[in-house]
Amino acid sequence: MLGLTKGLKYTLKNLTKQNVTTKYPDAPLELPDRFRGIQKFYPEKCIVCNQCAAICPTECIQLTGKKHPDPAKKGKIIDTYDINFEICILCDLCTEVCPTEAIVMTNNFELAEYSRDELFKDMRWLDENDANIRKENKV
Amino acid sequence: MIEHLLQSPPGWIHFLIFFCLGAILLAIVLGFVTYAILAERKVLGFMQIRIGPNRIGGRFGLLQTVADVFKLLIKEDIIPKLADRPLFILAPILAFAPSFLVLAVMPFSENVKFADIGVGLLYYIAVSGISAIGMLLGGWASNNKYSLLGGMRSAAQMISYEIPLVMSVIGVILFTGSLNLTDIVEGQKHVAYMFLSPIGFIVFFISSLAELSRTPFDLPEAESELVAGYHVEYSGFRWAFFMLAEYVYLFAMASLMTVLFLGGWNPIPFLGFIPGVIWFALKFSLIVFIMIWIRGTFPRIRADQLMEFAWKVLLPLALLNIFVSAAVKELFLK
Repeated sequence: MLGLTKGLKYTLKNLTKQNVTTKYPDAPLELPDRFRGIQKFYPEKCIVCNQCAAICPTECIQLTGKKHPDPAKKGKIIDTYDINFEICILCDLCTEVCPTEAIVMTNNFELAEYSRDELFKDMRWLDENDANIRKENKV
Repeated sequence: MIEHLLQSPPGWIHFLIFFCLGAILLAIVLGFVTYAILAERKVLGFMQIRIGPNRIGGRFGLLQTVADVFKLLIKEDIIPKLADRPLFILAPILAFAPSFLVLAVMPFSENVKFADIGVGLLYYIAVSGISAIGMLLGGWASNNKYSLLGGMRSAAQMISYEIPLVMSVIGVILFTGSLNLTDIVEGQKHVAYMFLSPIGFIVFFISSLAELSRTPFDLPEAESELVAGYHVEYSGFRWAFFMLAEYVYLFAMASLMTVLFLGGWNPIPFLGFIPGVIWFALKFSLIVFIMIWIRGTFPRIRADQLMEFAWKVLLPLALLNIFVSAAVKELFLK
């Protein structure tokens, strides 16, 4: 009998408590800063070292470089950079390995699309994906 | 006014008046059912620290139930091939009709009442018993062993709990000396019968929960365990009728409890300036809230505890209540 009243008291108290649910689809969901979300890419920082493509466990990164337009300078600059989010597992290895922090993680996670083709993101899209970047990687 | 209507000669004009009155009551009851379901989901949501319906009809989900019912009404009407067709169609009607019929004797205030018959309480109990047949019929006509079992279980539960339910009101009848619901309310001018026969009130409340097959006695349906009980084979508007019957019974049972134990439209002392209908609505809402609260709190009892509880706990308590009530009447109300 005492247990019953205890339960009733508990549920009555819950009426006034703050809800644990979020208003997610209506309001954006705040995620912790170390969350591994969709990558942001900085084309001007990239040195075309290919390490990200090499370390990627699912081989979802494809990139090509070209000669530096200024003949006086050495090295290459990035030409195309694509990530296939159909197979990307957001494991954070590409951003760990990048020596110039040209690719970093953001807190964005919404990858639902109507077509699989739309999950193939190119350099321009990845460059424009500049919201909610990890704090330690912010320029 | 009703008294005058009841004694006037029959005719089309009177038929029309009665029809309109019935339609108005039905509209009120349907409105109650719509918002009782929403209130139930909202309160349960808040008790479980979430929001509940909040999409359709503004941020309080005011049109959620309307949308749900609309969906049920436009669903395909499925009748199993091997079902007993006439009975299958009859069962939801037989389950729903008595739940609305019982409201005819319910006095909502001094003026708002329909049939003021002498044996109102008896009428209520007798007519509400018919619903069990509707459920059993639904289970039988579906030609499905699970729905038949579900129907048997809910009929067994209904009948078992009807006995303590009826026994517990005998105390009230003793105090009033009448089965008329208006007289019963008039008898509570000074003190509500809830305080004169607390045991009766508790037994009545518990067995009414079982009669309505609400948690913790919702074994006939048991959302999380069974497929659906007696209405496994029902869908669309026929299923909606079973659900409607359940919620109209909630309305009727909460009204009856208000009338029998909480003093109906009688105000709390010194607050007599508030009209009777509002007092009735307040007491009524309190009971509905407590029922939702209990649903949000208690787990379902086991099937073997169900019958034992009715026959070995509630029935003796109800019998004890008769003796105690008689003693109270003899000692204090003479």
